Amino acid sequence: MSLTGALLYLNDVTVTFDGFRALNGLSLVIEPGEMRAIIGPNGAGKTTMMDVITGKTRADRGEVLFEGARDLTRLDEAEIAELGIGRKFQRPTVFDHHSVFDNLLLALKGPRSVWPTLLAPLRGAERQRIREIMEIVRLRGLAAEIAGNLSHGQKQWLEIGMLLAQDPKLMLVDEPVAGMTDAETAATAELLREINRTRSVIVVEHDMAFVRELDVKVSVLHEGSVLAEGSLEHVSADPRVIEVYLGR
Amino acid sequence: MIARFFLAGFDRRVALALIAVLAIGTVVPLLNLMLPASHVLHVPDYMVALIGKYLTFALLALSVDLVWGYCGILSLGHGAFFALGGYAMGMHLMREIGPRGVYGHPVLPDFMVFLNWKELPWYWHGFDQFWFAALMVVLAPGLLAFALGWFAFRSRVTGVYLSIITQAMTFALMLAFFRNDMGFGGNNGLTDFKDLLGFNLQAATTRAGLLAASSLALALGLLLASAIVGSRLGKVLVALRDAEGRARFLGYPVERYKLFVFTISAAMAGVAGALYVPQVGIINPGEFSPANSIEAVIWVALGGRGTLVGPLIGAGLVNYLKTYLTAAMPDAWLFALGGLFILVTLALPRGVLGLFDRDARRPRTAAVDPIPKAAE
Amino acid sequence: MSPKRSDMRMPYPRRILGQLLLWISLCLSGQAIADAASLDQAIRRLGQGGFDGTEKAIGELLASGDPRVVPILEALAAGSLQVRKADGAIFIARQEGGEARLIDPLTGEVAGAASPGTMERVRMNNRLRRVIEAARGALTLRSPDPAIRRQAADALFRRADPDARVALEAALAAEKDPAIARRMREALAVLTLAGAAEEAARLEAVAVLARRGDRESLAILAPLAARGEGELSRAAEAARQAIEHELRLWEIGQNVWYGVSLGSVLLLAAIGLAITFGVMGVINMAHGEMVMIGAYTTFVVQEVIRAHMPGLSDYSLAAALPLAFAVSGLLGIAVERGIIRYLYGRPLETLLATWGLSLVLQQAIRSAFGPTNKEVANPSWMSGAFEVGHLAITWNRLWIVLFALSLFALLMTLLRRSAFGLQMRAVTQNRAMAGSMGIRTPMVDALTFGLGSGIAGIAGVALSQIDNVSPNLGQGYIIDSFMVVVFGGVGNLWGTLVGALTLGIVNKMVEPHAGAVLGKIMVLVFIILFIQKRPRGLFALKGRAFET
Repeated sequence: MSLTGALLYLNDVTVTFDGFRALNGLSLVIEPGEMRAIIGPNGAGKTTMMDVITGKTRADRGEVLFEGARDLTRLDEAEIAELGIGRKFQRPTVFDHHSVFDNLLLALKGPRSVWPTLLAPLRGAERQRIREIMEIVRLRGLAAEIAGNLSHGQKQWLEIGMLLAQDPKLMLVDEPVAGMTDAETAATAELLREINRTRSVIVVEHDMAFVRELDVKVSVLHEGSVLAEGSLEHVSADPRVIEVYLGR
Repeated sequence: MIARFFLAGFDRRVALALIAVLAIGTVVPLLNLMLPASHVLHVPDYMVALIGKYLTFALLALSVDLVWGYCGILSLGHGAFFALGGYAMGMHLMREIGPRGVYGHPVLPDFMVFLNWKELPWYWHGFDQFWFAALMVVLAPGLLAFALGWFAFRSRVTGVYLSIITQAMTFALMLAFFRNDMGFGGNNGLTDFKDLLGFNLQAATTRAGLLAASSLALALGLLLASAIVGSRLGKVLVALRDAEGRARFLGYPVERYKLFVFTISAAMAGVAGALYVPQVGIINPGEFSPANSIEAVIWVALGGRGTLVGPLIGAGLVNYLKTYLTAAMPDAWLFALGGLFILVTLALPRGVLGLFDRDARRPRTAAVDPIPKAAE
Repeated sequence: MSPKRSDMRMPYPRRILGQLLLWISLCLSGQAIADAASLDQAIRRLGQGGFDGTEKAIGELLASGDPRVVPILEALAAGSLQVRKADGAIFIARQEGGEARLIDPLTGEVAGAASPGTMERVRMNNRLRRVIEAARGALTLRSPDPAIRRQAADALFRRADPDARVALEAALAAEKDPAIARRMREALAVLTLAGAAEEAARLEAVAVLARRGDRESLAILAPLAARGEGELSRAAEAARQAIEHELRLWEIGQNVWYGVSLGSVLLLAAIGLAITFGVMGVINMAHGEMVMIGAYTTFVVQEVIRAHMPGLSDYSLAAALPLAFAVSGLLGIAVERGIIRYLYGRPLETLLATWGLSLVLQQAIRSAFGPTNKEVANPSWMSGAFEVGHLAITWNRLWIVLFALSLFALLMTLLRRSAFGLQMRAVTQNRAMAGSMGIRTPMVDALTFGLGSGIAGIAGVALSQIDNVSPNLGQGYIIDSFMVVVFGGVGNLWGTLVGALTLGIVNKMVEPHAGAVLGKIMVLVFIILFIQKRPRGLFALKGRAFET
C-alpha cells in the first residue's frame, strides 16, 4: 500500500450521533488526480463523510490523512480549506448579497486572515483570474449581478466557480446536478471532467445517468461503510449493491 | 495607502452624512455661543446638551450596526460597552474633582468617604490622568468584548443564543455595578462632576465643545466604519453573515473576523459612552439595563441596518420621539417604542432608508428576507 | 437585650412567684378548685390597691389553680381588663364602635355595655407583666390542650426560670404525651445546667440537650464547652460538635429546599418558554408579560370574588387558574396570528418584535392598573409554615413546588399522549411533511404558541402568591427563563426541569457564601461559560439534522 502517495486516506472512520452510527469503520483512498463518484441510499453516510473530511463533524474514531501527512481530524473547516480541500454543498450556497464578482473575489486563493484582508487592494491579476473563471462557469457578463438574483443552475455554477477560484487540490461536490435540466446536467459533467484535469474530485450523486456520464471509479456506501468499489458496471453487478440500492 | 483605505467604502450617501455631522458639530455651537438668546437662530443651552447626546447615541447605533447589520451578530449588550466607556470617563471626572468634594478628601471621591473607605481601590489608580482614562474608554469595553467574543465565537455560539448571552452579560454587569462593594458608587453611580481638562462642565463653551467633540467622534467613527465595510474584510463580514458555512469552507477563520469587528465595535460604543457622560453629568448602573441595549438595536433597525447612514437617522428619530413623548405624553412613550419594534420588523425590514433605496445591488428576495437565518 | 433583662431582676416578685407556683402545683395535683365566691373576690381586688394590690390579687388567683384564670390574666396583660368606676366591678372590655362591650371575666358572657368615661383600665407595669408571664407558663403546663402544654414547655426551655422547676417536675410526672414529656425534660435539663446541680445530673442534662440538637441547645452548651475543663465541659464540647455537624447537614438540606423552591419558580416561568422557544424555535421576549398578565388575572379574579362572593375567597386561585390560562393563551394565539407567523425562520426579528410587544403590554397594564404593586392574598391553606426536623417549610412554597411539578407532568403527558401533542411534534420536526399529511400547520402553530403562553399565565397565578404583582413582574423572569431553557437544552422538556432545579439549587447554595447579588452574577457567568462549552445545553440532541 502506497499510503504516502494517496491524496486522501480515510481509515476506519466512525461517527456516532446519539447511538446512531452515521459512519461505521469507513475506509477510502483517493489518489492524486482521481475523480471518484460516491453513491448510496439515503442515510448511507455520504454527507457525514464529507463533513468529516472538511472538519464540520468530528470523527469518534479513525484516521483522516491528507497528502499522507496532515491529520484532518485535528483541524477546523477553515484550516482544512486552506490546505486545499474545497467543498460544494448540496443546495447551492453562495453569498446572496454580493455580486458575482465579489463572490469569486472572496473565493480566490489569497489572504484569509483578518489584517491582510482589511488592507488588501484589488490587484489586476485577481481581476484577470476572476474573468477567466466566469468564462469557465458560463457567467460571462454577469460580474455585477447580485448572486441572490441568479437562477438555480447559475448559482450551482457560481459555486463551482468559487471552488475553482479557491484552487483546491481536492474538490468535494455534493449532488451538483440536483434540480438541473438535462442540458445543464450534461454541461456540468463536462465541467467536472474539465476540473478533474488539474485536481482530484469526489462527487456524491444520486443521478445514475450523471454518474454513468462521468465514467469514473464508483464507491457504494451503505450503513456508514463502503459496500463495493469499482467501475459502475462492476458495482452494478454486485448482488449486495443490487439488494440495498439499485435493485428495487 | 491610508487614504485609499479610508475611501474604499465611501459613497455619496456617506459623504453627505459626514458633511451633515460635521456641520452640526460646527454650526450648533456657533449659533449657541455667538448669537444673543433673543435671536431667532439662537440655539438654547438645553438644545446643545440634547443634540450632543443624540450624537453619542448615533455613534452607539453605528457600532451596533457594524456587528449586526454587517456581520449578523445581534448584540443585546452594546449598552454595556457604552456604559463601561462612560464609567471610565466618569472615574476620570471623579478624580478631577479632587479635594473639592463635599467631604473635601484630597483623593477619595465622596461616595468612598461616605462608605468609610480608607484608600483608593487599585483599579481607580491612573484615572487622574486624562490619557489613561481615554485609553481605558477604549480598552475596557474592547477587552470585555474580546474576552466574551473569544469564548463565544470559538464555541460557535450564534444567533439568538449569542444575543441572550450578551443580554445576560449586561444584566450581570448591571447587578454588579449596583453593589456598593464594587467601588463604582453603587446605586447612585458617579456624578457631581466639576470639570474636564480644566474646563468647567457647566460652562456653555464647554458644552458646545463637547458637542463638537461628539460630532468629530461620530464623523471619525463613520469614516472608520465605511473603511472597514468597504474593504475586502467588510465583504468577508457580509459573506459570513449570509452564509457562515460557505465562508468557513472557503478557508476564512470566521471566529477571528467576528472577534475583530465585535471588539472594534465595542470600543466605538465605549467612546460614545465616554462622550455621553460629561454631557449628561451622571453615569449609573441603570445604563447597563438590558432595555437600553435593545433600544439601541431598534434605532439601527428603524434607520436601516446594513447601511452606514441608517443608524444615524434611526438614533436621531427615535430619540427625538422619546424626548418629545416623555415630556408631552409620558404614558404614550412605551406604546410608541414597543409599536416601533413591531412595525419595523414586520413592515420596514430595511428601515427608513430602505424606503428610499433604489439601489439595485440587492437581491430581489430582500423584501422578504433581508438578513438570512442566523441560527444555522 | 438579654443581659439587660437579667440586670432588671427583682428579688421580691420572684420569691412570691416561687411560692405561688408551689401552691399551684399542689392545688392542681388533685385539690378541689376554689369556690367561685373567693375567686370573684380576688378578681375584684385586681383593681384595688395599686400595683402591689394587683400583684397580690394575681397571687390569689393563681393560688386558686383554676384554668379560668388564664384568660383573665391574658386580658390583664393585654390591657383590656377594666374596672367600672361606679362599683369597682371588673370586666373584660371589648371595644365596639363608640362604646365598650363588657364581658364577665369568669363566665365569658356579655354583661352589658359601658359608655366612654365610666370605665378605667387596670394599670400594668413591667414587673406585673413578668409575673403574669411566668404564672401563665406554670398554669399552661397543665392545660388540657396538648398544644398549649407544648408551648409552655418550650417557653420554659427558652426562659430557664429556676422558680418554675417544681411546677415543671410536677407537670412532667403527670404528662402522658411522650413528645411533650421530652420537651419538658429538655426544659428541665436547661434548669439543671443553670442551677447548681450535681455533676452526674448535669452530665445527664447535657446528654438530653445533645439529643435535642438544635440551635438553642447549642447556645446553652457552647459556654459550658468553652470553660474547657472537667468532664462536663468535655461532654458539652462533644455534644456541641455533634450538634454543629448535624446542624450543618440540616442547613445544607434547608438550602437544597430553598433551591428546589427557587427551581420550581424558575420551572414555572420557563416551562411555557420551553414550548415556544424550545419546541417551536420562536423566541418570545414577551413571555414574562404573559406571566405578568396571568398574575393580574389572579388579582382581578380575587377582587371580583371578594366583592361578590366573599365566602369563596379561599378558592379564588382555583378560579384564576383556568381564567389565567385562557387570557394569556388567547393573547398568545392573537400574537402568533398577528405578529409571529410573519417572522418564522427569522429568530432575531422575532426577538425584537416580541420585545416591542412586551413594552406595549407592560405599559397597557400600567395604564390600566397603575404602576404600584397589587395585593394578592394567600388563601388560608397556603399560609403558615411547619417544620420537618430542623427544616422550616412554608406552605406556599411547598404548594408551588408541587404545583410546578404537576404542571410539568401534565404538559409532558399532553405532548406525549394526545393527538395535539403528536401533531405539534410532527410540525416541529418536519413542517412540509406534516402539512402534506393533512395537518393544518398554521393552526398547530397558533395553538402551540397559545399553549406556551397559557402555561405562562398559569405560572403567573402561582407567582402572584410569592412575588409582587406589578407591571414589571415579567421582566424579572425573562432572562432567568431563557437561561433555564438554554441551559437545559433547547427542545427538551426534561432538560428544562433539570435545568431549573439545578440552577435553583446552585443559586441557593452559592448565596450564603457570596450574597444574593453576587450569587446571581456567579450563576449568570457560569451559564455564559457553560453555553460556550455546550452551546446546545445540558440535554442537547446531537446529530446532523440538528446542525444544519
